[in-house]
Amino acid sequence: MSPPARFAELVAATSYSFLHGATQPADMVGHAVTLGLQGIGIADRNTVAGVVRAYDALNRMRLGTLGMMPRDDFRLLVGARLVFADGTPDIVAYPATRLGWGRLTRMLTLGNRRAEKGGCILGLGDLLRHADDLMLIVLSDCSAGPVTPAGDTILPPRRSDPGLAATLAALGPVAPTRVWLGVTMPHAGRDVRRHARLARLAAEAGVPLLATADALYAHPDDRPLHDIVTCIREGVTVHKAGRRLAANAERHLKPADEIARLFAAHPDAVGQSLALIDRIAFTLDDLRYEYPHEPVPAGWDPQSWLEHLVWQSMIDRYDGYVPDKAIALLQEEFALIRERNYAFYFLTVHDIVRFARAQDPPILCQGRGSAANSIVCYVLGITSVNPMWHDLLFSRFVSSKRDEPPDIDVDFEHERREEVMQYIYRRYGRHRAAIAATVIHYRPKSTVREVGKALGLTEDVTQRLTSTVWGSFSTRFDERRFKETGFDPDNPEIARLRDMVDRLLEFPRHLSQHVGGFVLTQGRLDEMVPIHNGAMADRTFIEWDKDDIDALGLMKVDILALGMLTCIRKAFDLMRLHGLGDHQLETIANDEHPAVYDMLCKGDSVGVFQVESRAQINMLPRLRPRKLYDLVVQVAIVRPGPIEGDMVHPYLRRRAGKEAVEYPSPSPEHGPPDELRTLLGATFGVPLFQEQAMKLAIVAADFTPDEANELRKSMATFRKVGGMDNFQAKLLGGMVRRGYEHDFAERCFKQIEGFGSYGFPESHALSFARLVYVSSWIKCFHPAVFGCAILNSQPMGFYAPAQLVRDAVEHGVEVLPIDLNASRWDNILEPSARRRGDLAIRLGFRQIDGFREDWATEMARASPFASIEDLARRAALPQRAMNLLADADAFRSIDKARRDALWDVRRTPPKQLALFAAADAPELGAEPDANLPAMPLSEEVAADYQTTRLSLKGHPMAFLRSHFAAEGILSSAQANATKDGRRAKVAGVVLVRQRPGKGNAIFVTIEDETGVTNGLMWARDFEANRRAVMASRLMVLEGVIQRSEEGVTHLMTARVQDRSDMLRLLSEDHALTPPLARVDEVLRPVLTRSPDPRTRHPRDVRVLPKSRDFH
Amino acid sequence: MERLRTERPHLFVGRAEAPIAFVESVAGGIRLKALDREGVRAGLTVGLTLADARARVPDLDVYPHDSHADHGWLERLADGCHRYTPSVALDAPDGLVLDIAGCVHEFEGERRLAADLEDRLARRGLLVRHAFGDTPDAARALARFAGAPAPDERRAVKRLPVAALGLDDDATTALVRAGLKTVGDVMARPLSGIAARFGAEAATMVRRLSGEVKSPIVPRRSIPKIGVERRFAEPIARTDYALEVLGELAAEAAGTLAERHEGGRRWEARLFRADGLVQRLRVETGTPTRDVALLMRLFRERIDSLADPLDPGFGYDLVRLDVALAERLDASQLKLEGGEAQKGSLQEEGVVQLLDQLGTRLGRTRVRRFGARDSHIPEQAELMLPASDPVPTAPWVPPEKGEPPLRPIYLFDPPQPIESMAAEVPDGPPHRFRWRRTVHDVARAEGPERIAGEWWRREDIPTRDYFRVEDRKGRRFWIFRHGLYSERESPRWYLHGLFA
Repeated sequence: MSPPARFAELVAATSYSFLHGATQPADMVGHAVTLGLQGIGIADRNTVAGVVRAYDALNRMRLGTLGMMPRDDFRLLVGARLVFADGTPDIVAYPATRLGWGRLTRMLTLGNRRAEKGGCILGLGDLLRHADDLMLIVLSDCSAGPVTPAGDTILPPRRSDPGLAATLAALGPVAPTRVWLGVTMPHAGRDVRRHARLARLAAEAGVPLLATADALYAHPDDRPLHDIVTCIREGVTVHKAGRRLAANAERHLKPADEIARLFAAHPDAVGQSLALIDRIAFTLDDLRYEYPHEPVPAGWDPQSWLEHLVWQSMIDRYDGYVPDKAIALLQEEFALIRERNYAFYFLTVHDIVRFARAQDPPILCQGRGSAANSIVCYVLGITSVNPMWHDLLFSRFVSSKRDEPPDIDVDFEHERREEVMQYIYRRYGRHRAAIAATVIHYRPKSTVREVGKALGLTEDVTQRLTSTVWGSFSTRFDERRFKETGFDPDNPEIARLRDMVDRLLEFPRHLSQHVGGFVLTQGRLDEMVPIHNGAMADRTFIEWDKDDIDALGLMKVDILALGMLTCIRKAFDLMRLHGLGDHQLETIANDEHPAVYDMLCKGDSVGVFQVESRAQINMLPRLRPRKLYDLVVQVAIVRPGPIEGDMVHPYLRRRAGKEAVEYPSPSPEHGPPDELRTLLGATFGVPLFQEQAMKLAIVAADFTPDEANELRKSMATFRKVGGMDNFQAKLLGGMVRRGYEHDFAERCFKQIEGFGSYGFPESHALSFARLVYVSSWIKCFHPAVFGCAILNSQPMGFYAPAQLVRDAVEHGVEVLPIDLNASRWDNILEPSARRRGDLAIRLGFRQIDGFREDWATEMARASPFASIEDLARRAALPQRAMNLLADADAFRSIDKARRDALWDVRRTPPKQLALFAAADAPELGAEPDANLPAMPLSEEVAADYQTTRLSLKGHPMAFLRSHFAAEGILSSAQANATKDGRRAKVAGVVLVRQRPGKGNAIFVTIEDETGVTNGLMWARDFEANRRAVMASRLMVLEGVIQRSEEGVTHLMTARVQDRSDMLRLLSEDHALTPPLARVDEVLRPVLTRSPDPRTRHPRDVRVLPKSRDFH
Repeated sequence: MERLRTERPHLFVGRAEAPIAFVESVAGGIRLKALDREGVRAGLTVGLTLADARARVPDLDVYPHDSHADHGWLERLADGCHRYTPSVALDAPDGLVLDIAGCVHEFEGERRLAADLEDRLARRGLLVRHAFGDTPDAARALARFAGAPAPDERRAVKRLPVAALGLDDDATTALVRAGLKTVGDVMARPLSGIAARFGAEAATMVRRLSGEVKSPIVPRRSIPKIGVERRFAEPIARTDYALEVLGELAAEAAGTLAERHEGGRRWEARLFRADGLVQRLRVETGTPTRDVALLMRLFRERIDSLADPLDPGFGYDLVRLDVALAERLDASQLKLEGGEAQKGSLQEEGVVQLLDQLGTRLGRTRVRRFGARDSHIPEQAELMLPASDPVPTAPWVPPEKGEPPLRPIYLFDPPQPIESMAAEVPDGPPHRFRWRRTVHDVARAEGPERIAGEWWRREDIPTRDYFRVEDRKGRRFWIFRHGLYSERESPRWYLHGLFA
């Protein structure tokens, strides 16, 4: 018996070979481990985007959390398969050292920068120039597809002959003893002969043969999936693809003895795979990271400079008196920072924030995230959350055991974030700063569409199937969905579609750039990771995403855009301008004024940061916030995690004292009896924050911080990894062992599970809560300022301008119409004519759809105007601008009603003829009065809505009131005054439709001239009313009034009538479409890309309840 | 939609009365282009995206909108209307304008005529709105926009909405916004003011509707096909002479075609006998041609292959030649010695002529050639096509230089079962096999060439392992094992082909 064969597969592609590979990196590694291979080399086509996933998976396997344990000497090689545009055969390159890695990534960067987005153009020459420390496996042919060069790049000439011998000869001198010739066994009928030829070639060139399966997938069963991705790539159906598909299913991972059998004629080729591995010293652990050194002046070391800065700012922060506790805390943090060498990180963030503050006018910004809760951040002004005031139980910003980089996100005004980004590029250079990638995955809708197309199903069928997908976030395409559409799931074509869709879901589709996650390095970034061209000009991004960066422990600073900061800054500017004082975020945020909380307790929060959604408005009167920490809870509690984990009601009951707060204790020998009290005390024993859930696992079930981190990751991705059962057993076991009751442990697990990834971290909620307070404060004391600022910051927040204006009016603010002489581009404040000393909002030209800022600037320069002709002449407005102004009824101050203005505007030529200009004479002769009929008020309102999406002249419903009243339909005011349990019909224009959480309730809010009615419809009633709910702009809700004890009224809706046609009664000529709130989910389906909020668009985090769209 | 119902009735068999929509792919998605009555009733509107429409009416039936076919359909309807008047104009996409001045006497009045037309079209399932007007514009506006009946045409026109003026959307909206909602409102105002704001065309349009300006309709004309004919004072009784005349006609037609840079592909000769019988001769060519000699040869082939020979009877009094299908054919170089030079190689041209000749004699579809198909499955990798069809086939796989062919010329259909002896497991060829009661000892073998089943047709199609084998006598066979040992317990072997 010969010894068992040993082999490592060194040419394995993954799903990150975008549409060339059919197995996820983690599964590829997993299968290699299962087969008992000595190692695996991950080499995707011109990219290293997938290697971190493989690396992370292997590390997790070694931790034992994935249920399989790799052998100790299992090796993972990371590299890339270089696919050349010049006809050179593919070459797989593995860096042997850190230097080699840098060469590889620089070469890939070079290729990426030459290509349009998503391509990579390389020639053999590039490799010859970058071949240092690379181990090269030359494959026998070139698999390049077409690429689009960027700009004026010239494609290298394509060689007609693959030129294997020439390639080997060219590589010989630059990479002596580092070249192998890969041989495969494709079962193509003449393999033996091919092997002989390759062996001859190799011998001539003096390079060894290396056996490989050239794997595109892990298992032969993956062939159909690979065929499908090939079809998607080629844009053909599987029936027509013919020889574009592989003839057989041989390109999978094969066990060592099978390889040994297949290559029996060339035994050395099998052994060479191990010889190559032995030459490789590099692993991704070697990407030791160096933070940029810029922020540290010469002569200082980073730690002492950081300490120096902190001590300096300390005096200002604490007004000369520094409490001992703060000093103690600081010392503790300094020690940690020194130990983990994070000083550069804090200094970098500080530097960026300092830049923003130093601008004129300063850019408002605020940090958040786990590290942002440190006193260092507070003292340096990165955040305004004082860890001394809020006795933050979980403020330990980095666990010293957890080898994870600190996390600080900084929000900037959304209109000015670009300045900050440009500063970063300026300061660190484009070769050292780039944005992280976001991996765009296959989502159900796109998957069904593309797989359906590849399988040859008509668009009709796939349309019907996708029409039932609720939201693009769901990670499974349920059988139920197929049944709903009337397709038989057992039909082979449908079954095949389902199977393929299931397998393709979660595959990466392409790389895109992250919204604001910057990666900064001290050395060249392109020697760490390849860089791509972004979609925006002058933007570059690296090919690793947040998870990869986390896994490697790289530093990332999130430079995010927050609309509310823009709004607050504009409000501060307005207050300064109108003598209402000079305000700062900090001063307001700390004043804890009861009037502000009174307002919030009433649920009066339209426009306020975070707590303005329907669900939040309903929660406010129940939660009754009285202090900042209550707002922290408020922000975090209306989230799918707490809602689905059923934590809201226990929390409210306990907070109101209706339910006893109890903290089960572990057996005395296992820990202090109050361990849970310390943990959950602030939230009355109910875990509401993500940190609490994780800490619960650590404290109560004895998880290590690493395991808790695994738990968090698994919660986000448990479908794929399937490791949740392991955790359940471990958590329950741990808690029971430590003396907790099984029931309680079970409940805890349910809560953690419900949390999934949708739990909200306290560290973020804290920062948000301050903005909630500041925006509420402005709204409470200066409603006109608030209204004006928020209108000028659009688009942002939940509501459309109509609803914001209406809210301002309800708060006693006078709102004046757009006028050619009084308005500017922005909405402005002017003294109210109604009451002395009050400010009124004058709507600006920006509210007119399609109006342009430069027109407004011209007008401001030349104003005032005496006539339409005067305006046309002196402001040189184009016809379209004039029409828009007339449509918007902006000529009242020169005594022209809308119709007359329109009539005159059409006659006015945009430019005055030179002759008339010279004579300074009016160009247009007098004309008989056209005697246009006067416009009825209802039509005025309709026309207002059409041009500015809001009307100050009246509410559309007011004109229809008599019709509805005759039918016994109530107004919102009447409905809200109706007794609990009464039946009612209410009519109104649709404000917003949402389907939060699990989707079993649909919220519909309608509005009329008296207020809003909140309708709630159960999913079972929805199907029958589907059309009406989705298509109506004006609807009648029929149902039963339900009033909660906090005074929140809902109409439990059983039937919806579409009465949109009534809007025509207002005006037959102006199609009146009442504006919907910005968060209406029918109009704007919530596109949540990934269930993991950390990889989601940071702005999505504020869309409170996880929602499903209506398609 | 009625076009669809007529042309593709199978779509409508046994289907419930679900709303139907026609959709069109435009930038930004698929939008509804047209709707049936049910669809309108369900609250859908043209211009809605398909996704929205489906969300509202999940059982919506959707067909692609084919404006080209619709236009053809409208043309056919217009043809049909020639029974009423020779002067018919299209008002695309869905209207016809008929000038019935002087044509109504046959129908005893215009109303009868309209009723007749409505009836006829209703039989085809079409709903017609019609109106009479002094001018085509008025009639069109009334047909499309008229609401309630009015005592006379003038007042009816005045009641029309301003949209009936047919101005662009911007102008229409502007008029409506100004409070001028009917044509009458506009007419009541000084036309100079209208012209100053909406252009001279707007004023013209008002005048047209009011009948102040007449605009005749532009009747459509059918595109003339090429048709040449020769009438004889005396019927000619000899077929040969008739064919001679046909040749002259062909030359005449070829001249016309040459002027247009076209060549005919489908030719039809009609010999009208004096007694009223017509004899038709049709020929087709694989490539467009103007070659009279070729055509005449084809016509003679055609005559020779007729079941009943041509019988001039009392003689022909009219010979007519039509070119039913013509395609672009650019002029080619004249040969020095006269006549047009052949393009392409003589050999190729000769094959084309042979094909035309065979096709004319045997029937077009009975002359076939091989085409390559893009498939891994050997027996599906080529197919037989009518030789004259210009259907492009997949490129043939070029043989590798210096390598023996992978696949044989001759394939058995179906493959012949063989009995294999002592084959290596898992992927070796047999050492010996029996085919047609003869045992062949395998001396040499190469393979396997592994071809997996097309899983999208059926899940359990076994994989084939093909081997090229040579027996001791030097005969070469192409054999395969049907199924891997992991797929089948004892897979069978077949002989699929013989190498030359």
